Amino acid sequence: MRVLRKKKRKIAITGAFGFIGSRLIPLLDSDDRYSKIVGIDIKSPPFTTKKLTYYNIDLTSPSVEGELSKILSKEKVDTVLHLAFLSNPISNIEWVHELESVGTYKLLNACSIVGIKRFLMWSTTMVYGAYPNNPNYLTEQHKKRGCPGFAFVQDKLEAEKSLLEFAARNPDFKYTILRTSTIVGPTADNIFTSIFLRGYVPVVMGYDPLMQFIHEVDVIDVFKLALDKDIEGEYNIAADGVLPISEIMRIGNIVPIPIPYFILKNTVSFLWNGQLIRFPSDFLNYIRYVWNVDNEKLRNQMGFIPKYDSLEAIKNFLGTRRLRKIGFAN
Amino acid sequence: MEENLKTKDEGFINEIIGTIGGLGGEIRDTSKRLLKSGPKEIISGLLKATRDIITLDYFSRREQSGEIEIEQVKIDEFGFDTKFFDMMRGFYEFLYYKYFKTSIRGLNNVPMKGNYIFVSNHGGAFPLDGIMLKITLLNEHPAKRDIRFLIEDYIYHLPFAGVFMNRVGGVRACRENAERLLKKGIDIAVFPEGVQGISKLYRDRYKIQRFGRGGVIRLAIKNKTPVIPVAIVGAEETYPVLFKIKRFANIFGLPYIPVTYTFPALGPLGLLPMPSRWMIQFGEPMRFDKLKPEDAENSALVSSYNESLRNTIQVMINELLSLR
Repeated sequence: MRVLRKKKRKIAITGAFGFIGSRLIPLLDSDDRYSKIVGIDIKSPPFTTKKLTYYNIDLTSPSVEGELSKILSKEKVDTVLHLAFLSNPISNIEWVHELESVGTYKLLNACSIVGIKRFLMWSTTMVYGAYPNNPNYLTEQHKKRGCPGFAFVQDKLEAEKSLLEFAARNPDFKYTILRTSTIVGPTADNIFTSIFLRGYVPVVMGYDPLMQFIHEVDVIDVFKLALDKDIEGEYNIAADGVLPISEIMRIGNIVPIPIPYFILKNTVSFLWNGQLIRFPSDFLNYIRYVWNVDNEKLRNQMGFIPKYDSLEAIKNFLGTRRLRKIGFAN
Repeated sequence: MEENLKTKDEGFINEIIGTIGGLGGEIRDTSKRLLKSGPKEIISGLLKATRDIITLDYFSRREQSGEIEIEQVKIDEFGFDTKFFDMMRGFYEFLYYKYFKTSIRGLNNVPMKGNYIFVSNHGGAFPLDGIMLKITLLNEHPAKRDIRFLIEDYIYHLPFAGVFMNRVGGVRACRENAERLLKKGIDIAVFPEGVQGISKLYRDRYKIQRFGRGGVIRLAIKNKTPVIPVAIVGAEETYPVLFKIKRFANIFGLPYIPVTYTFPALGPLGLLPMPSRWMIQFGEPMRFDKLKPEDAENSALVSSYNESLRNTIQVMINELLSLR
């Protein structure tokens, strides 16, 4: 372990110019402990730094295993940070399945060819699934029940499963899964922020679950900390405190349109079948039932204390939204 | 190994089976108490709370929210809303003191300090016993204990009901939630009869049904928290279940549809409880200090404790019924 620390680390990041990657790379670039950053993405880099090498590789292409292993061995990478996951669901679920579920499997195969022993992966707390019989705070030990019918969640769950299976076959392979709850902040963009950006939001009548958030600044810090300290295992990343959806609506001056569940469900599945909307009706469970996580392991074992609590984080997000509306920010 | 364990425990288990002492005590009639809030306040609180739960306070509290400073709703991590509970409190106190004319027995068995699990029988198609137990300990106990009661998870399938129960202090019944509450030093009330308790027919009233798999005892042993047995008489008559309809219940996500004298015949009006006379008795705490946390895995020990807890509550119920 000590040897590894003294040696400068070479890190490969998939989905390097996505939400987390593009914010994490400048931090890694200014840190002396990292000597090389290999950025793997289909997007061309929006910026250049001196440690960054960019490779345009599509995880969905059939020959990706060979290409990846060639690059990983050429650059002498010792750590892989897997961030190639979507934060917004899209209608093209076959492509997402290829990217997230199959892509992770192929990336792991490439790692095993090269002999990479350190792997970090981004996931979401949505993999636990929203069910009426969830405890109010889910811990890492809980079963990940996912959300059958919602490919966005199921693909991430399958990616996690293939990582766990791979780790079980390779005992000296060290992995980390960082599951973030809903990320909010001035620049965050995901399924929930796009809902809260509207002025009018349809909600399920008679349900008001408690929601949990994490500020984007905290998310980047957690990823940096997990890399720096070589944290292992599964971690739920969420801020302290919870607040009901109605409270978010009130703070953000969003007008909710309460619709009975069976009407909303049928409408959403009709729109989804017509590809007019990006999520299926199974998503509605996430605004009906609780799926909050316990952040005790994050606080005690990783030693990370979120700077924003859920309320502050959502206020920060909604405040920027207001500024954007009146034209002070873009 | 298995046999060894059995012989060691046998004498111990024989000791536990039977009832725990602590019956009797002075009956305290609370029906003469003056209500803190007048009829006007009670009705306005009730209406406000109803509007809040139907519109989910989107609109009602909106008017008060300023452009810059927004009044913070105090909702705790399990969804308990102090402001909402205060709105409902006048109505519940009216029910407790004037409508149900509740009398309390053995309240001095509840100590001033420490953390406790209250275990009680469960009754009535739309159970009020959790809230009434909360009012008892909040208003009548000198330490003003604020408890949370654990509720079955089917209620979260239903619109409005789940939110409502959360706001007045209900928490979904599961081990994780109970442990989290106890760790924070909050007392909990548990109804191990669950749906079986509230779905029993009127002719079976006050016969304790199944009592779970001893989850309460296991929780108590693990956390070294004493259990206080509670007998509640009166809840069964508030909504006497004549028969149950199972046919359409699945559509609403319910285990069954209860049919009482007034529900569903009178619609929402049928949700008003019958005026029954309530009695609440607290037994002596069962302590588990001498047991080790590993004993929670000893199912023979756990089920014998569970059985004795059930006996105790049944004996207390019978005694209260004879006094009524």
